[in-house]
Amino acid sequence: MLSRVALRSAAARQSASTALVARGSATDVAGVRDEKNFPRPVRGEPGKVRLGFIPEEWFQFFHSKTGVTGPYTFGVGLATYLCSMEIYVMEHEYYTGLSLLLMVYVATKKFGPSVAAWLDKEVDTIETEWNQGRQDTIDGLQQSIEEEKKAQWRAAGQELLIQAKKENVLLQLEAAYRERAMQAYNEVKRRLDYQLEKNNLERRLSQKHMVDWIVRSVTQAITPDQEKQTLDRCISDLSALAARN
Amino acid sequence: MGFGDYPKEYNPAVHGPYDPARYYGKPDTPFGQVKISELGSWFARRNKTPSGIAGACSRAWWRWQHKYMQPKKVGMAPFFQLLVGSMTFFYVINYGKMKHHRNYKYH
Repeated sequence: MLSRVALRSAAARQSASTALVARGSATDVAGVRDEKNFPRPVRGEPGKVRLGFIPEEWFQFFHSKTGVTGPYTFGVGLATYLCSMEIYVMEHEYYTGLSLLLMVYVATKKFGPSVAAWLDKEVDTIETEWNQGRQDTIDGLQQSIEEEKKAQWRAAGQELLIQAKKENVLLQLEAAYRERAMQAYNEVKRRLDYQLEKNNLERRLSQKHMVDWIVRSVTQAITPDQEKQTLDRCISDLSALAARN
Repeated sequence: MGFGDYPKEYNPAVHGPYDPARYYGKPDTPFGQVKISELGSWFARRNKTPSGIAGACSRAWWRWQHKYMQPKKVGMAPFFQLLVGSMTFFYVINYGKMKHHRNYKYH
């Protein structure tokens, strides 16, 4: 019942203007919710009673004025008064009532606890059944949250992986660059070596030819006169040397 | 204010969900704390129009319901209360016939 009331009130609050016009009362809808003086009604524990049906408040009402035994004294006195003045008439149904009271008392004392336990169990079962759907939904949603978190964690791992792959690609690029740089270096060196070798060869060949040409020219330039003069000169030198020794 | 309406004093924006057991007007002294000399003026202040009486009965009914009948694990108390109340009620309406069964002439 309370839940239905709460539902109706919530619906009224959602469409406050139209609902209130339709209801035609409580025209002043403005105001701040007063949680302190008007808290949400909650389902409480059952009220305490004494003697099976008399509310505890009745006894509390007497306590400050007459003490603890006051309410009982009042009850017994009132009953005595009603019976002695025969305002309460003990006709034949009174004794039927006494026997019925006795039976009710015995039945309550004998079967009350077991019936109460069974009913409490039934109440718990029904409540559990009614809450089951909501609990299932909550569990499912929480599991979805867990899985979503795990997926996010995996996505973060994926980012790490992609970063690693990017670094790997950069490394490959670096390696390719170095390889090509090395290749260019080698090619250039090879060409330069070729040029150097070619130069050396050319120089050597030209030197050799030059030397051959000079030697040949000099050999051809020597006339028989010169040869003879030289030979004479040598012989004279030799004889001079021989004379000196 | 017709049938099935909320009380005039009830303002959903301030009071929140409607509690049928609650009086939303200006609270007076509780009946249990009223002094006997002030009982007359206390009753004079009450709303004795039919709708007021009906509202008081409705609130009393719902207070009893919320306190004894609607909690999750109720005992036998509300049923005994109903039993005693109905016994008293039927005793009263049949009192004219009961009177003829008196056993004593002088008290």
